[in-house]
Formats: sequence, structure tokens, C-alpha cells
Amino acid sequence: MKEKFARWDILFFQYLKRDWKKILIWILSLGLFSSGFVPFFNEMSEGEGLIAMYETLQNPAMIYMIGPTSINSAGDYTLGAMYAHEMLLFSSLFAMIISALHVVGHTRKEEDLGLTELVRSFQIGRQANSLATIVETILINGLLALLIGSVMISFDAYTITIEGSFLFGASIGMAGILGATIALIMAQIMSSSSGATGSTLGIIGLLYIIRAGTDVTNIEFSKANPLSWTYLTFPFTENDGSFLIYAAVFCLVMVIIAFTLEGARDMGSGYLPERAGRDHANQSLLSISGLFIRLNKNVMISWLVAFAIMGAAYGSIYGDMQGFLESNELIRQMFVSTGISVEVSFTSTIMMIMIILVSILPIAVVNKLFNEEVQLHLSQIFATKVTRSHLFWTSIGLSTLAGVIGILLASLSLAWTALSTMTQQSPLNLTSFIGAGLNAFPSVLFFIGLAALTLGWAPRWGKAIYVYLGYSFLLNYFGSILDLPKWVSRSALHSWVAHMPLDSFEIGSFTVILMISLCLILIGYSGYIRRDLLEGA
Amino acid sequence: MEKVVELSGVQKSFGKVRALKDVSFTVNAGEVVGFIGPNGAGKSTTIRTLLGIIKRDSGNATIFNMDVWKQSLDIHKRISYVPGDVSLWGNLTGGEIIDLFIKLHGNGNKAKRDNLIKRFELDPRKKAKSYSKGNRQKVGLIAALSVESDLYIFDEPTSGLDPLMEAVFQEEVARIKQAGKAILLSSHILSEVERLADKVVIIRNGEIVEIGTLDALRHLTRTTITIETEGDVAVMADLDGVHDFNQTDHHAIFSVDNAFINSILLVATKLGVRRFEAVPPTLEDLFMRHYEG
Ligand SMILES: Nc1ncnc2c1ncn2[C@@H]1O[C@H](COP(=O)(O)OP(=O)(O)OP(=O)(O)O)[C@@H](O)[C@H]1O
Ligand SMILES: [Mg+2]
Repeated sequence: MKEKFARWDILFFQYLKRDWKKILIWILSLGLFSSGFVPFFNEMSEGEGLIAMYETLQNPAMIYMIGPTSINSAGDYTLGAMYAHEMLLFSSLFAMIISALHVVGHTRKEEDLGLTELVRSFQIGRQANSLATIVETILINGLLALLIGSVMISFDAYTITIEGSFLFGASIGMAGILGATIALIMAQIMSSSSGATGSTLGIIGLLYIIRAGTDVTNIEFSKANPLSWTYLTFPFTENDGSFLIYAAVFCLVMVIIAFTLEGARDMGSGYLPERAGRDHANQSLLSISGLFIRLNKNVMISWLVAFAIMGAAYGSIYGDMQGFLESNELIRQMFVSTGISVEVSFTSTIMMIMIILVSILPIAVVNKLFNEEVQLHLSQIFATKVTRSHLFWTSIGLSTLAGVIGILLASLSLAWTALSTMTQQSPLNLTSFIGAGLNAFPSVLFFIGLAALTLGWAPRWGKAIYVYLGYSFLLNYFGSILDLPKWVSRSALHSWVAHMPLDSFEIGSFTVILMISLCLILIGYSGYIRRDLLEGA
Repeated sequence: MEKVVELSGVQKSFGKVRALKDVSFTVNAGEVVGFIGPNGAGKSTTIRTLLGIIKRDSGNATIFNMDVWKQSLDIHKRISYVPGDVSLWGNLTGGEIIDLFIKLHGNGNKAKRDNLIKRFELDPRKKAKSYSKGNRQKVGLIAALSVESDLYIFDEPTSGLDPLMEAVFQEEVARIKQAGKAILLSSHILSEVERLADKVVIIRNGEIVEIGTLDALRHLTRTTITIETEGDVAVMADLDGVHDFNQTDHHAIFSVDNAFINSILLVATKLGVRRFEAVPPTLEDLFMRHYEG
């Protein structure tokens, strides 16, 4: 036993030394994101703010997106209750994802790169690396929890209690540890780091969708969902720490399982079987487009399935939403007075959110070309009559195709489930969904353009596009709840796109964004055909 | 002879690193040119410049009289390339990758492919991620050798191959050369270069320091002589052209500049030679002289 983990502490300190910058950014950005909006919420809660917000968030669609509260009447709703209600689920989700990526990066990824082989040749236990990584991640999340708690207390706001603040922080920290343990297990089961990352994110996404369903229908079921153990602590209201104890026990079991799995497998292999392949290539592989489709196949299929599930999940809420309106006089008055149908308004928000998520796939497809380049997979192909333009345009074409299919899948599945769950009359029909989806196509193309631009001129920055996409996502997700200054919301590309079906189609912005995107792609192209390919660098 | 590759005054910097300072040499049709030099000397950089993967800062570089950067497409139709570290897609099989490379190059020969797979003893049904270093290298070599080209560029092609497989590679190179094709071969395996190359180009710190046929280069260096005489061999130590003289009793080992061989022999005969052995410089000796100097 001891031998397996021998000298893990050396690796542990080595990792802290190596990662300290990343850790600092991680803790600061996530910590401040989770805790820093207190003054902002405080302002929002003034006057009738709390009551209005309570009523708005009672909408099943809202519970679906941001989670439930333990408060049963608007009068009991406090600043603390509102803060936990709106922020805790998402902060936890981020903590989970970042920790999961970190764990896969330090375990499976290093194994794929052959670094583990080197490390194991020294006097280091076979499982020391996993132990060091998981301890590091636990430490980071612990610090994160402390930071969040301290910052929240420092605002000295009414109902933001000390107990609640630290429970809030601890819930987020525990979410990170949960994500880390899921990732550690997937790192053993899958046979590559991309498989481990993909499946971990898939599981987290699934947990999120399942909790959305159970939160709306019967919150008792959510108590069986590890992701829910974070927000079910209800800081500032119930202050129920018992869920964190479940989570800790759960994590411990998961870690033990992961170590057992790791101990029983060979380095570099996984638990999913390898099939023997073909000795000759299929005709369909024998071209650049065939090759690229093959290389992106797994990523594309997984994301497209995810988009379809996502559409269906959001679509299933429409029925509940109508029922809620039926029973809540106040909210119905609100919508009737503005002359907007709640279904239409919800559709425009959800559509934009789905489109942003759909953009991930095309960016990934374009970035793949650079990944292939640095991994030297293309060396021998560069020396054939295949031109760089051919490689470039095939990537862009495939990525655009993936974007269009993604949009169609997401909006179709949203439309079908929405239309079939709605019991009352609504102004929406199939065309309004598809139209809203296609209307956002230029925004997807814009991100393809950004990816093309970096591919041509600053290929190492390809990943930074996700940061801007994530930023746009947050602004859109919370834009309706938070009262942001105009210039802030304008900094997200998607605020320039007409929010159909609420807004009507705007040919102007549609074509302008389309044109800008095409220009970006062309500029990227001119860089890509000119620059040195990064080999041996 | 037709010049296939021609480089003159090629320079390339990566930021502050001057990888190529002045590279000029030619490769003719029907000729194998050995391209050797220490690690980091600029061999791969030169080759990547030739392939249009990176763009030179200055100088001229042509293949088939076409500019390697501007007309890379036309050039690439007629060349084959194997990098020193063949990196493959883990979830494709060796057979699939070979077929893909052949197809993308054009002018493939199916029978040749199958024959090479057999001779290199490659299992084409395995996923590439389970291949060893040598097997990955074989995939690259089979793909490159199964197509018709006029110029073959190999950057340490046999790294990781076992001696039997290296012999197969050498046979193939001899065959290509017979067919009048040009070959640029960068390698650290000097015996391989010695056996195959007609001409050797030595690069150091981004500069070409020596070019010539092996014979000509040998001429520039020293022969190692082992001698045993009846008389006192010590007198030979002071002769012109003798270096590194090392004596035990009547036995001596020393090296001699080739230009002085005759005068050495004249002295030696007077001492009564019992045993005499002259070993021409190996490429390794040549190489060491340049690497260390
Ligand atoms: N893309 C790059 N960016 C920065 N420096 C580079 C790049 N490619 C090569 N170099 C540098 O240029 C020099 C020449 O490298 P090159 O790979 O050509 O050497 P080499 O002769 O092939 O060596 P080896 O025998 O080890 O293969 C080295 O100092 C290397 O670090
Ligand atoms: Mg090299």
C-alpha cells in the first residue's frame, strides 16, 4: 500500500510549485465571481426588488435554469436567500468543471504524453501522481471556499451571515472536489485524455439536466443527485450542512474506486476495450475531408447528441411554465401588461443560450487543425500536393456544417418537445423556433471567424476564444436577472443579434455580423497560408 | 547532371535563434546526399524550409528549378518525405494511414505497398497508438516508398528501426538511386550514410562546413596506421605529417596526413616492417573532426 503512493508528497509540492500561477488565477477568478456580486444584489433587493425577483424566479423555467430556493413566501425572501438562489448552482458548476479539467490534465493527459512513464522510472509510487493531484485539488478548493466565505463576510451586508457565507463557500469547494473525483474515475475508465474530459463533462451536464427536471417536479428526488448536494445546503436560510457530509463520503468512495481501478490497469490503457482495425482504408477516409470527419467524429457526435438533449430538456419546461402562469396572477398581469407572451420571451432567451453552447463545437473543429499541426500529425501530409488552403477550407467547411447541424438539432428538439408539452394555446410554432435558430447563425459563424483568425495569426490563442464565449454565455444567462449597464451587455456579441422570436428579424445586423465573420475567416486564411507551421517549436 | 535541389545562402531565424546562417548545397538526380551534423545544427530546419513548411528569411532555395515556398504545390507532387519522428493518429490503423498518405500523394502502387508491408514486417491492422517507435517509423517509410517520386527527403528515417529493417531501407534506397532519383538523407547513423551516400554535406551551427564525395573528404583527413618494426620505431614520431604517435616497444599506432603517406612508407621500409595496417578514416573520424572543431 505504502509503496504504491511512495513519495507522492514530492510530486505534490512539485505541482504546487509548477501550478501556482494557475492556482492563483483559478482561486481569484472563481472566488470573486462567486462572492463579489453581493453589493450588486444588495442594490437589486431594495424596495420591491426582492418580492419581484422572488415571483420571477418561481417560474419553473427559472428553477430549471438556476435552481430552487427553500423560501415559500415572497415576504421571507432575503438578500442572502436570493444570492444563494441565483449564484450557488452556477458557481458550483464552474468549480466542478475547472477541477475536473485540472485532474484530467494532471493524470490521463500526462500519461498520454508519456510524462508518466518518465516519472514512474524514478523512485515514485505507481499511484503517487493521482494522490498528489487529488490532494492538490482538494487544497485548492479548500482555499477557494475560505476566500469566498471571507469576501462575502467583508461586505457586511444584512442577512449575509458568517455561518451562511462559509457554508456557501464550502458548498462551492465541495462541488470542485466532486468534479475532481468524477474526473479521476473517468481518467481510469477511458483510454485517452480527450475521452476522459468528454465523458466527465458529459456526466456533469447530465447531472445538471436531471436536477433541473427533479427540482421542478419533485425536489425530494434532487437529494439523490451529487450536483444538488451543493445548493440544497441553502446557505443563509436553512444552513443545512449535512449535504456536504454526504458529498464528502461520496467523494471518498469515488476516490477509493478510482485508485482501485488505476491499480489494476496498465499504464496508458483504459477499461474500454480496443477493437482490431482494418488493414486497408475505407474509400471514405481517403481525402482531407474524409480524414477530418474521421478525426472529429467522436467530438462531433457527442456534442450533437448533447445539443439535442439540451433542446429537449429546455423544451420540456414549456408545459410547466404555462401551468405556472395560469396559477400566478401577479406574473400573468405583468406579462399581459407588457403585451409579451412568456413563452416567446423564454424562447428568445433559451435560444440564445443554446446557440452560444452550439458555438463550442465549430470552434473545437477549427482549433483541431492547429492541434494536429503541433502534434506533428500532418508533417507528411504537408509534403504532399495537399495545399494549406485545402486544409484550411476543409476545416472551416466542416466547422460551419457542424454549426448549422448543431443549430438545427437544438432548435428542432426544443421545438418538438416544447410544442408537444404545451397544453394551452401559444403564439409559437415550428417555424418560429427554426427561424430563431437560423437567425443566430451569423453569431456562430463569428466564432468560427475568431477561431480562423487565431489559427492564421496567433494559433496558440485558439483556446482564448472559449473565454469570450463563456463571457457571452454568462451575460446572456444572467442578463435577464441582473440589471447590467448597457455597455457591459453590449460587449457580448449576442446582444447585437436580434432575439427572435421576441424581436423581429433584422436583416441589417444579420448581414453585418455575417460580413464581419467572413472577413475574419479571410484574414485568418491569409495568415495561415503565410505563416511558418509550428513544427519542432 | 541535372540539379534537383539547390540551396544558396539560405538563412532562417526563430526569434533570436539563428537556426540557419548560411546554407548552400545541391542534390543532383541519381545521387544520394548524406546530410549530417550535431543535434540542433539545423538539419531539420533546412528540410522544413525545402518542404515549404517554414519560410526562409533570405537566400534561394529551389527544387526542380521551382521556388520551394511559392511553387510548393507543383514540387510536392514529385517528392516523398519521411520525418524523423513519425507521429500518427492513435485511433487509425497503420494500414489506413498508409493508404491515406498514398492517396494524398498520388501515383501510388498497391502491389508495392503490400510488398513493403511484408518486408518491413508491419501489422497494418493495429491501431497506431499501440505501435512502437520503430513501427511508427515503418508506417512513414512504407507510405513514402510506395509512391513514385523524383526526390526523396528523409530526416533520420531509420531512428528506432532494428538492423534488419534498416537493411530493408538501404535496399530500397539503392533501388531508388538506380532509378535515377535524387535522395537527401539526414541521419546520425554514420555507417548508413557511409554505405549509401555519394556526397556528404556537414552542417554545424547553421552553417555548411564541408561538402564533398566521401573519397574527397577522406583525402582531407588522416589515415590511422598500426606498425610493428625490427628497428626502433621511435624515429617515426618526428616525421612530418605524423600525429598522435603512441609507442609500445616495437609497436606503434599513429595517424598521418594522407599527403605524407609516401614519405612515411619510405622511412618505414628502412626499419624492417613486420606488420603494417592502414585504416582509412571512417566517416565518424571525419565527423568528429568537424563536430569537435
Ligand atoms: N520552430 C522553432 N522555433 C524556435 N527554434 C527552433 C524551431 N525549430 C528549430 N529551432 C532551433 O533551430 C536550431 C536547429 O534545429 P534543427 O531541428 O534544425 O536541428 P537538427 O539539426 O535537425 O537537430 P537534430 O539532429 O537534433 O534533429 C535548434 O537550435 C532549434 O532549437
Ligand atoms: Mg532534426
